[in-house]
Amino acid sequence: MNAVKSIFRNPPLLTFVLVALVWLVAGLTLPGFGAYGHLRYLLELAAVIGIVAAGQTLVILMGGIDLSVGAVITVTAILLPLISPIWDPTGLVGIALALAIATGIGFLNGAGAAYLRVPPIIMTLAMATFLQGLLVVVAGGSAVTVSNPAVILLGQARPFGVPSGVLLWLVVSAVVLALIHRMPIGARFLAIGANPLAARLSGVSLTRNTLILYALSGFFAGLAGILVLGMNRQGYVGIGDPYLLTSIAAVVLGGSSILGGRGTYAGTIPGAILLVTTTALITVVNASPGWRSIMFGTLILALLLISGREARR
Amino acid sequence: MTDQKPLLEARQVFKGFFGNPVLKGVDIALHPGRVHALLGENGAGKSTLINLLSGALQPDSGTIAVDGKPVGRFSPAAARAAGIAVVQQELSLTADLSIAENIGLGAFPRRFGLIDYAELHRGVRNVCDMVGLTEPLDMPVADLALGRRQMVEIAKALFRRPRVLILDEPTSSLSAHEAGILARVIETLRDRGTALLYISHRLNEVQALCSHVTVLKDGGVTADQSLSGIDGEGLVRLMVGRETGDLFPPRAAANPGALRINVEGFSAGLVRDIGFSGRAGEIVGIGGLVGQGQEDLLLGLYGAIPARAAKAEVSGKPGLPAHVGSANAAGLVYVPADRKHEGLVLPHSIASNLILPSLGRLARNGFRDRGAETRLIAELAKRLTIKGDVARPVQALSGGNQQKVALAKWLPLDPSVLLLNDPTRGVDIETKREIYLMLRGFAAEGRLVIIASSDTPELVHLCDRVVVLREGRVAAELAGEAISEEAIVGAAMGVDRKGTAA
Amino acid sequence: MSAVSSSGWLYGAIQRRRNRGLGGLYLVVAAFLILYAVLFPGILSVGGFSKFTQNWFPLALVTMAQALLMLNGGITLAIGPLVSLGAVIAATTMEGVFGVPGGIVAVAFTGLAIGAVIGAIVAHLRLPAIIVTLAGSFIITGVALILLPRPGGFIPDWLSNMLAGHTPVAFLLLVVVLLAWKAFLATPLGLGIYAAGDNPVGAFRSGVPVERAKIVAFALSGLLAALAGLFVAAQTGSGDPVIGTPFTLNSIAAAVLGGVGFLGGKGTMRGAICGSLLLSVMINVMFFLGFPPVAQYIAQGLIIVGAVAVPELLKSWRAKR
Repeated sequence: MNAVKSIFRNPPLLTFVLVALVWLVAGLTLPGFGAYGHLRYLLELAAVIGIVAAGQTLVILMGGIDLSVGAVITVTAILLPLISPIWDPTGLVGIALALAIATGIGFLNGAGAAYLRVPPIIMTLAMATFLQGLLVVVAGGSAVTVSNPAVILLGQARPFGVPSGVLLWLVVSAVVLALIHRMPIGARFLAIGANPLAARLSGVSLTRNTLILYALSGFFAGLAGILVLGMNRQGYVGIGDPYLLTSIAAVVLGGSSILGGRGTYAGTIPGAILLVTTTALITVVNASPGWRSIMFGTLILALLLISGREARR
Repeated sequence: MTDQKPLLEARQVFKGFFGNPVLKGVDIALHPGRVHALLGENGAGKSTLINLLSGALQPDSGTIAVDGKPVGRFSPAAARAAGIAVVQQELSLTADLSIAENIGLGAFPRRFGLIDYAELHRGVRNVCDMVGLTEPLDMPVADLALGRRQMVEIAKALFRRPRVLILDEPTSSLSAHEAGILARVIETLRDRGTALLYISHRLNEVQALCSHVTVLKDGGVTADQSLSGIDGEGLVRLMVGRETGDLFPPRAAANPGALRINVEGFSAGLVRDIGFSGRAGEIVGIGGLVGQGQEDLLLGLYGAIPARAAKAEVSGKPGLPAHVGSANAAGLVYVPADRKHEGLVLPHSIASNLILPSLGRLARNGFRDRGAETRLIAELAKRLTIKGDVARPVQALSGGNQQKVALAKWLPLDPSVLLLNDPTRGVDIETKREIYLMLRGFAAEGRLVIIASSDTPELVHLCDRVVVLREGRVAAELAGEAISEEAIVGAAMGVDRKGTAA
Repeated sequence: MSAVSSSGWLYGAIQRRRNRGLGGLYLVVAAFLILYAVLFPGILSVGGFSKFTQNWFPLALVTMAQALLMLNGGITLAIGPLVSLGAVIAATTMEGVFGVPGGIVAVAFTGLAIGAVIGAIVAHLRLPAIIVTLAGSFIITGVALILLPRPGGFIPDWLSNMLAGHTPVAFLLLVVVLLAWKAFLATPLGLGIYAAGDNPVGAFRSGVPVERAKIVAFALSGLLAALAGLFVAAQTGSGDPVIGTPFTLNSIAAAVLGGVGFLGGKGTMRGAICGSLLLSVMINVMFFLGFPPVAQYIAQGLIIVGAVAVPELLKSWRAKR
């Protein structure tokens, strides 16, 4: 009984147990679900959400929200093929440029929030709107095919049978977990998320941390954009849209407080897997788009009821 | 008078939060026409008892009785219907609504389902006259200073024509003048037969106004008796349960050292063009009525709000700190008055709060050194006698212990200048003494302590020098024998001679 | 001594003071309207005015729906889907036995009910509004897609002509809605929505039914959004399950333009209405000047940031002086 209680008190663990249960039940009842290839495919999809949600987790821990991650993914996926220089056979220069642009966009978000005092939800929403317009001007609305070898390698290669996207996710997870739990900046993010004024008067610089934070979120969204591009081999307007809501949902499912100051990326990881799994199950039952949408919404709501309850004011 | 039935009483109420009992079988009875004092150190359960009496919380067991009849589920609405009004320590006002709408909120007179603004105006005018609120009634509360908002809060309680009025630290942000008005209001209500419950840390107010006292200690009642024949010493003994000795440590022989802070033509927020200086080893007090720029002076020196000065030297370097980081680097630290909102990250652990300013200093190669952090936290907890598990959230601590955490977190930086804003507000006597001792110790170690305070005895007995601010300017600078309550209050009120101010 | 001399005028004095804070915004709106009238004098005819207000009307409604919740300290991301659902229900019920009145009742009831349910979840289960409405937006979109998988349905021509024809009916309806809001704000519950947004604990202790206020706010917000959907359906003559999508962002943008804050209790409904008018004028101007829709996005992004940043910068600039 106590073990059950402690699971309910530990949202990351709760989410993880839920994933295990869903995989177990689905694996036993649905033919093909438990196959290695299928599970690997699920993890590959979860990797993209997980990487976007890495930035989103940090932002939400600090009490903000980044509504521009979808647009940043799209920007990266469309610009990368266009800006990868032909003289570079490895394709790494293109990746570096694309990541720099994504980080720069995030930095601009941070600058708006820190210097112009625009609330992050507005700043990032406006940024998303702005980028949406800019993209159509740049790309003209047509899809671009990628030929950058490094990107294709990232999206398609499977060293030792493990998709390289999943490996990238492992690296990102290690970095983000260390950042939150092992580095001063993580503690500062959490302090700002819980009480920005007290943090500032304790010598924590809001400006500096806000800039770093949103730049990081932009960076991770850019990384996810490159991965998506590699997996799809094509970039088009709207490719990043699904990842905005799923990244926020993954963070919330992982038990982090949407109000900031409490949570961990350790919850977001199973949160991302849970999202992908249930979306896959919804697809399996072959429902119409309307029913799929209803199921997805109900799912988020139901999981929120279990894990995401906010403490009383 | 005492044979009358109590209007409101709590009988053997128990209440706990998250398994921690806060009230353990408390009885209290409020009689009409009597001002009843509720005393107790912070964390003794006073706020919880008030919340039970006003319906904001439900007791775990025991009953709340109105007019001798136990009530079932008590809600704020039911309490209001029973004629109970509370002036809370934390204001219940809505910044963007007008004074009148705030006063009427939750008790609006209605006509055809709409708010009857004409009726509201009459009622509000009436109570505002009682408490001396002369501001236009259509003015948004956001435009009022803190002390005036407190008066609106009091008017709001009076508007409900209470039979029982509970006042929780009503004078903590009031000027002496406003506190005087409040005292007269309380006396009027008492004579009209209202039952009053008065909570304050200022014992002279309790002595002047109250006739009966209930003392809470660790969730139980330790005294429930008449106040006649009990002096200040006696009150303190009732609260602490033993002799306290002198609250203030003896003043050391003043031998100020090097100039640590020296500003001329300094302006920040409300502060306009003042000169200010402090030397190592000094305790400098900043006095004045509420909201005369005391906080802005500290924040300006700390780099937390924009400030400028014609000439400035801080810790031997020219110029003011541009932001908090550079102030910390120059050896300045700041302990805010509002520890819940400004001083502490409440939901985080005691340990996280203690370590926050030292995070960067303790890190090695960019990573946190858990061993060093644990050692430092243990040392700080020991030095400030913060008992128990440091992994508890800091909001679980009493006010006094929270204040200790807010102060202790700065010690690892070895600050040369401590800026303290009302460090003993809402702090129990025992912790107050500890804090005073600590501040004296800091001065003896050659640090400069600058303390803004609303508690005049504190300025008189603790400080080597007192600067009184009035409307953002220095109204008086007192040192040594010249520091007296009369001199401080007089300068704060803008009168030269004592006596005319009170 | 008091600015309120006779007792009957307290209400008026409070209203005047609220207007005074918005003087700058009124000037900007007036300037834009004049500029618009100079560029497109057609607006001064009855037909032109009607068309202009018809474009503005649904935006004004959803802005009110959003501002209502922002004043209460919440936010909703379900505006767009509710507009779509309103349009779909209007287009699928009006050919039923109860005809147009039945359709209007169905739309209004759906909006109120969905809003109330979301509000109850937020208020009683203490879940953050932004996530609940996000999840809700999926469910509502799903329902709309099931009811009407692709654009279609039926709206009687006379209704379209009445609401979106050459008469300023939309404007008159807006006036009615605004008067209803004013009356609501003069009730204890209406002011309670404000108070609960700014200082929920204080409002609760003052005896304001904070939870009921929140549910009512969500329900009214749902009603307004669904009615905006009905109007859009009448405008286009059919239902479309995704037609409401842009309204979520626009409702937030307009409310922010009108000075409604995110933390609750800050701002005014009249400001929000001005914000929606401003946004509507800007969209119209860009449309008529032949800007591609793309440029609208870019401009909108800049406008939103500017609307928030400029007052903030002015404030800190003033503080420094």
